[in-house]
Amino acid sequence: MLSPRWQKLWRDLWLTRGRTTMMVIAIAVSIFGVGAVLTTYSTLTREISRNYLGTNPASATLEMDKVDDALVAAVRGRPGIADAEARASVTARVQVGPDTWRPLVLFVVKDMGAMRVSTFRSDGGAWPPPTGTMLVERTALPMVEARLGETVVVKTPNGPQHQVLISGVVHDPALAPAWQERMGYGYITPATLAWLGEKGDLDELKIVVSEQVGDAVAVERTARELAGWLQQQGHEVHEIQIPPPLKHPHQNQMVAVLLLLLIFSLMALVLSAILVATMISGLLAVQIRQIGVMKAVGAQTRQIAGLYVVMILVISAAALALGCPAGVAAGRAFSAALAELLNITLYSQAIPWWVFGVQVVAGLLVPLLVALGPIARGSRITVREAIADFGVSQERAGGRGLDAVLGGLRGLDRSLLLALRNTFRRRGRLLLTLGLLAAGGAMFMTGLNVKAAWGKNLDDSFATRRYDLEIRLSRPEPVESLIARISSLPGVKNVEAWGYAPTALARPGVIDVVRTYPDGGHGSFSLRAGPAETTLVKFPVLAGRRLQPGDTDALVLNQLALAQLPDVTVGDTLSLSLDGRGTAWRVVGIVREIGPASAYVTTEGFDRVSGHPGSARSLRIVTAEGDLVARGQVIQAIERTLTEANVSVAMVMADSVFRTALGEHIAILIFSLVAMAVVMAVVGVLGLMSTMSTNMAERTREFGVMQTIGATPHTVIRIVVSEGVFIGVLSWIIAVPLALPLSALVGTVTGNLAFRAPLPLVVSPFAVLLWLAITIIGSAAASALPAWRASRLTVRETLAYV
Amino acid sequence: MDHHHATPQPPDAGTAAAGPLIAVHHLTKTYETASGPFVALRDVDLQVRAGEFAAVVGKSGSGKSTLINMITGIDRPSAGEVHVAGTAVHALNQEQLAIWRGRGVGVVFQFFQLLPTLTVAENVMLPMDFCNTYPVRERRARALALLAKVGIAAQADKLPSALSGGEQQRAAIARALANDPPVLVADEPTGNLDSHTSEAVLQLFAGLAAEGKTVVMVTHERDVARYITRTITLADGAIARAAATVESQGSPRRAEVDHA
Repeated sequence: MLSPRWQKLWRDLWLTRGRTTMMVIAIAVSIFGVGAVLTTYSTLTREISRNYLGTNPASATLEMDKVDDALVAAVRGRPGIADAEARASVTARVQVGPDTWRPLVLFVVKDMGAMRVSTFRSDGGAWPPPTGTMLVERTALPMVEARLGETVVVKTPNGPQHQVLISGVVHDPALAPAWQERMGYGYITPATLAWLGEKGDLDELKIVVSEQVGDAVAVERTARELAGWLQQQGHEVHEIQIPPPLKHPHQNQMVAVLLLLLIFSLMALVLSAILVATMISGLLAVQIRQIGVMKAVGAQTRQIAGLYVVMILVISAAALALGCPAGVAAGRAFSAALAELLNITLYSQAIPWWVFGVQVVAGLLVPLLVALGPIARGSRITVREAIADFGVSQERAGGRGLDAVLGGLRGLDRSLLLALRNTFRRRGRLLLTLGLLAAGGAMFMTGLNVKAAWGKNLDDSFATRRYDLEIRLSRPEPVESLIARISSLPGVKNVEAWGYAPTALARPGVIDVVRTYPDGGHGSFSLRAGPAETTLVKFPVLAGRRLQPGDTDALVLNQLALAQLPDVTVGDTLSLSLDGRGTAWRVVGIVREIGPASAYVTTEGFDRVSGHPGSARSLRIVTAEGDLVARGQVIQAIERTLTEANVSVAMVMADSVFRTALGEHIAILIFSLVAMAVVMAVVGVLGLMSTMSTNMAERTREFGVMQTIGATPHTVIRIVVSEGVFIGVLSWIIAVPLALPLSALVGTVTGNLAFRAPLPLVVSPFAVLLWLAITIIGSAAASALPAWRASRLTVRETLAYV
Repeated sequence: MDHHHATPQPPDAGTAAAGPLIAVHHLTKTYETASGPFVALRDVDLQVRAGEFAAVVGKSGSGKSTLINMITGIDRPSAGEVHVAGTAVHALNQEQLAIWRGRGVGVVFQFFQLLPTLTVAENVMLPMDFCNTYPVRERRARALALLAKVGIAAQADKLPSALSGGEQQRAAIARALANDPPVLVADEPTGNLDSHTSEAVLQLFAGLAAEGKTVVMVTHERDVARYITRTITLADGAIARAAATVESQGSPRRAEVDHA
C-alpha cells in the first residue's frame, strides 16, 4: 500500500488528468521528434555503408582509349591501388513512345560474375545478361516504361535502333533513383555494346585506392600518379573522375533533411521543456495551499520537492513510453522513405542502444531540469505565504503605464478591458506562454516560408529560362542547317543553337580531374556557349556581369561551378579543359542557376577554341503551345526531323521534366518541414491551454466574487476567452518578425546544402494568416474549456476553494 | 498511550512540565506594507503551562492569528523569543521548523485544510508519513484510533468533500494529533461551523487538554468560558488582559495573569 503522500501524487495526477495528458503529449512529441531523427540517422548511416560502400565504389575512374585485362592486372599491382577493374559507359536513349525518348545510361561490364569494383547485384531475372539483352536498375523500370521480360527500343549515339530485351533487374545502390533523375540505367556486356553499334571496348579504368580512401586530395594524388605511370606506359588518359569519396550522390540531401529535422526536434524539445516549466509552475500555483498544509503538518522542503520531482518523472516516463516507440516507428518509416531517395535497401532496422539512451535522457532529464526551478521555488514557500488568506489575489496588473494605456482606450467593453488587464497579471507566466506560442508559431511559419521559398526559387529559376526544351546532340552539328530545320517546324516559336562540352579545371601538363559520379550527371561540370544577346536565359547576377556581344574570352560561372572552383573570383583567369586541351578564359561574372555546374561563354568565344566553329551540340527551343500534349507533339516532330537528317540526339529535356526531377529531389524535405511545423503548432497551443487552465484555477475565487456582484457565467466565459485570444494574437505579433531570421537561416542552410546557394527569404502570406487563424481558434478553444469550468462553479464553491 | 517511533522528542520536552510549555518574551512583529510599517504584535510576553486550554480573543486585526503563527513557527518574529516545549522556535530555520512542527505541535485551521485528494484516514496518516513516526504498518491503525477518538471513525475512508464541516474539523483535529504533539494550536477552529458543531469541537479540545495536551485557540466565540482555562485578550497587538476562567468539566485549571 502506498503511503499517503504517494497516494496524493497519483490522485493529483488523475485529478488533473487534462493537464497531465498535455504534459505527457508535449514531452512525448519532443521525444518522438528526437527519436525519429536519431533512428533515421543511425539506420541510414549504417545502411548506406552497407549498401553504397558494400558496392566497393571506385575511388576514381580514369577515362582512357582502351583498358584490357593485362593492364588491369598491372594496375592492381601498383602501389596505393587496392583494386581495379575495366568498364565502359554509354549514354544511349530508350524509346518510351512514338518519337519520344528518354536518356538511358548503359553500364558495360565484362564479367558480372567477377565484379570487384562498383559492384551491383541481381534483383531478379538473368545474371549475367545474354548478348542482345540488358539488365535494368530496379528504380529505372518506370523510366524505361517496361517490365522484366519486355522489349524496349534502344539507340546508342553511333548505332541504329535495336529491340533490346530486359532480361533481368539489378539493384545498384551507388546510383540515385532513376525516377528522380528522369533517366534509365541499363547494364550490358561488351558484346551487347558492339551489337548495339558501338565499339565494344572497355575504356574506363575504375580504381579503389588502398590508403586514405575518404580523402579526396589523397585519392586525387594516387589517381594522378597512376595516370602518370599509365602515360609512361604509352596509354592515353583523357580524364580522371573523382566523385566525393565514400559519399552517395544524394548524401547531401539526406544530411540536409536530417539536419533540419534535428534542429526542429531540438527546438520541439526546448519548447516542450518550456511547456513543462509552465505547467509545473501552474500545478504548483494551484497546489500552493496544499503545500502550506503539508508543511504545517511536518513536511520538509525536500519531501515536498521530492513529491513533485517524482511527479515529473512519472509524467516523463509516461511520455517516454508513448513517444519512444512512436519515434522509433516513425524513424523506421522515415528511414524507408529516405532509403528510396538514396536507392538503398535497408537490410536491418536494428537501432543502436545509444538512440534509446538519448531519448531517455531527453525525455526524463530535460523536463526534470527545467522543472527544478519552479519545484524549488514552490516547495521552499513558507507556510504563512502558502496558506495566508488574502481573499482575491492582489498582484498588480501591468505597470502603471500599461494601465494608463488600457484605461485610456475609449469605447472598449469593460469586460474586455478586464480581460486585457488580466493578461498582464502574471507577467512571468505570460512571458513563458508568449515565448512558447511565438516560438512554435515562428517555426510553423518558417516551415511554410521555406516551402514557399523552394517554390519561389524554382519559379524564379524557371522564369530565367525562357525556353521549353533542351535537346542535347551526341556530337557537334552545323548550326545553320539545324536552325533551318527546326525553326521551320510547326509549333516551334524560337530556337537557339548552343555549344556544349564537358569540362574541368585544366592545369598545364596535368590530366583533367572532374567530380562526376558514374551516372554522368551528379557532380558534372560543363561548358555552355550561346549567343551573347540570347533572350532564352537571363540568370540573376550574383557578382560581376553577364556576357556581352563581342566577348570572346569572357566566362560566367554559375554558383555550383563556383563551388567546384572555390578560390575563383570575378576578374580571375581560368583555364578550362576542352577535349583534353586547356582553354583560357576571363571570369566576368557569377550567376545564380538551379541546375548542374556550368560555365557560360559566348558562341564566338566557343568557336574560337572548340575546333569546330559553326557547330552546336545543344538546341534550346521555345514552343508556341503551352500545354504538355502540344509540346509532346512538337518534340516528336523535332525527333523525326533530326532522325531524318541523321542527327544523333543524346537527350531531350523538357523544362517540365527538369522541374519534376527537381521537385522529386526536395519532396521529402518539404514534407519534413511541414510535418515539423504542425508539431510546433500542437506544442504551442498545448502551452496556451495549460496557461489558461492555470490562470483559471488561480482566479477561481475571483470569479466567485464577480458572480456575487452580478457577473453572469456568460460574462466569465467572455472574459476568459478574450484573454486567451489576446495572448494568442500577442504571440502572433511576436512570431511574425521572429520567423524572418529563422526562415532566412533554415533557407540558407537547406539551399546551400542542396544547390550551393541560399534560398530567397520568402514570407508566405498564407503561412502568416494561417498561423493567425490557428492562434485565434486555438487560443479560443484552449481557453473555452477552463472558462466553461470557471463559469459553472457556484459562488459557494469558488469562495471555499483551497 | 501513544508513543513516538524512531523519532526523538522535541529538545528538552521532558522538562516542559516543570515550567511553562509555551513561553513568549518581548515578541514583536512588524509587517512592511505599502502604506508603511504595520506593527501586528508589540512586545508581547506570554506563558502557557502544560495542560492549559487557552483562548486568544480580540477584535479583528488585534494580532491573534499573528501570535499563534509565531507559536507554530508559521511566521517569524521581528524581535523577541518564542520557546515551545523547550525549543527556541524563533531560532529555527525553515527546515528545522518543519521537522519540529510535525512532531511538536498540531495545527488546526479555520477552513480545515484537509488535502482533497486524500481520504480522511490518509490525511491523518500524512504527518506520520512526513515525519516518519510510527512503523508504517501501524499508521493506519493509529489514524483509525484517532478518528474514533474524535468520533468519525466511520468516515475514515471517505474523501473530505463527502464530510460535513464539523466532521472535517474533527478530521483536522485527528490529523493535528497524529504525531502526538504536546501542543495543539487552532486558529478559529469553530469559525466555519454551526453552533452545535462548534460546541462539540470545543468539548473535544477541552477533553484533549484534560488529557494533558496544551491547547491554544484563537476564537471569536463568546460562549467558550466553560471550556477554557484561560483567556488571553489582544488589542492593537498587545495583551490587554489575561484572566483565569472557572473550572469546567472537572479538569484542573490554572490561571496566570500576564501583563501587557
